[in-house]
Amino acid sequence: MLKAIIIDDEQHCIDRLQMLLDSHSESIQVAKSCASVTEGKEEIELLRPDIVFLDIQLHDKTGFDLLSQMKSIDFEVIFTTAFDNYAITAFKFSALDYLLKPIDKDDLAEAIKKLLKQTALRDASQRIETLFHNFRREVEVGQSKRLAIPTMEGLVMVDVDKVIRLQSDSNYTHIFIMPNTKITTPKTLKFFEEILDSGQFFRTHKSHLVNLKYVVSYLKGKGGYIVLSEGSKLEVAVRRKDALLQKLNSV
Amino acid sequence: MLDRLKRYFPFFLLFLTIVGKAQTTLDSLKIELISHSERDTLRVKTLINTSAELTYTDPKSGFSYAEEALAIAQEINWKRGETLALRQQGNLYYVQADNLNALDHFQKALRLSVNLSDDELSSTLNSNIGHIHADLKEYDKALEKYNEFLAFAEASSNVPNQIKGLSNIAIVYNDLEDYEKGLPYLEKALALAKQEDNDFFQAAIINNLALGHKGLKDYQKSLEYYYETARIAKNIDNKYVLASALNSIGKVNILLKNYTAAEEAGNKALSLSQEMGTLEWQADSWEVLSKVYEHQTKTTDALDAYKKHIIYRDSVLNEEKKAELTRKEMQFEMEKQQTAAVLEIEQQQLIKNGYLVTAIVLTILSIMGYFLYKRRRDELEKKKTSDFKAKVAETELKALRSQMNPHFIFNSLNSISDLITRNDTKNANEYLVKFSKLARSILENSEKKWISVKEDLELMELYMQIESLRLGNKLSYTIEIQDGIAIEDTLIPPLILQPFIENSIWHGLAKKPDGGHINIIMKKGDNFIHCVVEDNGVGRSKTLPSQDSKSSMGVKITRNRLEIINILGKTKGKIDLLDVEEGFRVEMIIPFELQF
Repeated sequence: MLKAIIIDDEQHCIDRLQMLLDSHSESIQVAKSCASVTEGKEEIELLRPDIVFLDIQLHDKTGFDLLSQMKSIDFEVIFTTAFDNYAITAFKFSALDYLLKPIDKDDLAEAIKKLLKQTALRDASQRIETLFHNFRREVEVGQSKRLAIPTMEGLVMVDVDKVIRLQSDSNYTHIFIMPNTKITTPKTLKFFEEILDSGQFFRTHKSHLVNLKYVVSYLKGKGGYIVLSEGSKLEVAVRRKDALLQKLNSV
Repeated sequence: MLDRLKRYFPFFLLFLTIVGKAQTTLDSLKIELISHSERDTLRVKTLINTSAELTYTDPKSGFSYAEEALAIAQEINWKRGETLALRQQGNLYYVQADNLNALDHFQKALRLSVNLSDDELSSTLNSNIGHIHADLKEYDKALEKYNEFLAFAEASSNVPNQIKGLSNIAIVYNDLEDYEKGLPYLEKALALAKQEDNDFFQAAIINNLALGHKGLKDYQKSLEYYYETARIAKNIDNKYVLASALNSIGKVNILLKNYTAAEEAGNKALSLSQEMGTLEWQADSWEVLSKVYEHQTKTTDALDAYKKHIIYRDSVLNEEKKAELTRKEMQFEMEKQQTAAVLEIEQQQLIKNGYLVTAIVLTILSIMGYFLYKRRRDELEKKKTSDFKAKVAETELKALRSQMNPHFIFNSLNSISDLITRNDTKNANEYLVKFSKLARSILENSEKKWISVKEDLELMELYMQIESLRLGNKLSYTIEIQDGIAIEDTLIPPLILQPFIENSIWHGLAKKPDGGHINIIMKKGDNFIHCVVEDNGVGRSKTLPSQDSKSSMGVKITRNRLEIINILGKTKGKIDLLDVEEGFRVEMIIPFELQF
């Protein structure tokens, strides 16, 4: 049985989530609902929940403020938001889960299923740290964004700058990282394509997403080939050729 | 006339000798012409010779022969014959004092002979042209021509021509009253003439020597030469020359005050010239006699003689005046031609310059024009591009607006409200979640130009589910994707079919009490996707006697979107609205686009 806390500044949202969670009462129990950052922090420290449903916008503060005030985050976080593309990209980057309001019961069921499957200790601190790192990076230039990549074994944190290329393998993606690492994740290449900065990464092919930083040369051909600094030679799709050359010229 | 005769003495002599023994030659030539009628070089030669024989006796009839010679020579393309015929024509004009035509023919002949590299012929022509220059008192040019002629004669050891050349040069100097310069030429010519044993030449040269010494006031020497001339003239029975010499003897004797000798010479000259009927010689003789009588104080005779001298001199002068007039006319004519030529050249130059200037101006104008055109074109292009961009932006906005049709939003909210009122929270909830999902997707995808068919189908399905909920599930739909379209890799503009689905639902099916069916088909074409949206609703005719503004707005926006795609991709997408037996059908051609 998982112990949950809902933090949201709008009572009808709390009510709705409460109602939806009622149909999962055999696996999850709502211990408390809070409406502010201060109250939420106190309740978390007091009740030590397994899971926190955290709204992003909390009056004049945010859910991130609450997390940044916590000494340690030894619980799972599921963000809830109505519409915030920027935050959603950040969640995806950090492998954090989220639910969009109004919450669909199917989506909620999916999220709970994932929670229950998780065998490791529910500790979101690493991913939250990644999230904050990426937020900070927006201010301090020079630091690479960090990507939290879920694998079979757990979570791998990777500097985006060190990612050479990504290659799809049906529903999995192989990620090649400097200097000589390869990790495989059960996420589609499309998922990464959407969150990775399109100025730095380029989809050269149906199965390849490439960090342009590591492109050494382009070889002419129907679509042509690109050679990366670690030596791999990748085919370029005919339809991507022009856009690729344009990108390479502007880098 | 006197001057001319003196000047061209050697020239005339040459032909006079021919004339002297010529009557028989002329006759035999004419016989030959009759017997030899074939138009060949022989006939040309004979014709020219015949014409030459007639030069001094009957130049007018000489023309017909020369003309025929020229015609035949041109016919058989015999250049040398042509040249000779032209020269002969020049000679004929010359003796008729038509210097202009003479010069024209000589120059034509000269051009031909130069082309033939016939130096001898060229040199005789040069000499003839020299005569004309001398005649026109263009002494520099005459001397130039004569010197050329002389040089060639020396080079080719042609003594008679050397004599002619030397004599002619001397005559020019005499005319210029530069006697000292002329004398050495004459002496040299005389030596050669003696060597050749040619009396005619000798007479002519000595006559000129006498004239030269007279000019130098060496009257004694002059007299000696004139006597010599007279002696030779008598020997060769040339009265013309003899009369001239006798007159000169008279004049010089008067200068030497030997009046008896002068009277004797004058009388002899007078009788000779009367015999010949030459006015100029008579005038000269009467002048001599008048001076003699004056000295002898025979005043009546002197006056009588002087009167006669004046009468003859006047008639000679008249002739000379005429000649002078002709000469002046000639010179004027030639100058006019020269001026005309110069003017022509100037004008040509002017025209040339004009063309050049025009060309430059045109070039500059066209370059300027091009730049102006280019600037204007660029501006138009820019404007067109910005207009296009504006249209793209506007269309994007309107597309979003048509997808997130306010009518649709409030209809949906109304339905949810209705469900809540009826306490059907389950359906209200479902409706709401689907509605928010659709709204979110539309907002997200409205930024994209293309999405995968798979994503688009999800959106369309969501939309139709929501509408189905609103209409109480009396709406059913099928989506057929035919083989050849890989839904994940194939791209279409987001929600491009939505306005037609909306039309079908709102205008076709919503009005049908027992609901209806929408069928969506996608087929792969050559280079396009063929999409069909059809329904079994009430059809257009019953619903849209006057076009519904909202539905037509959606179609219009879709048309605009397709047009933008067509312009950017140079494709030929299009939309067809069709009425079918039951319901309504839209067919759409969308350019085929793959993600990779």
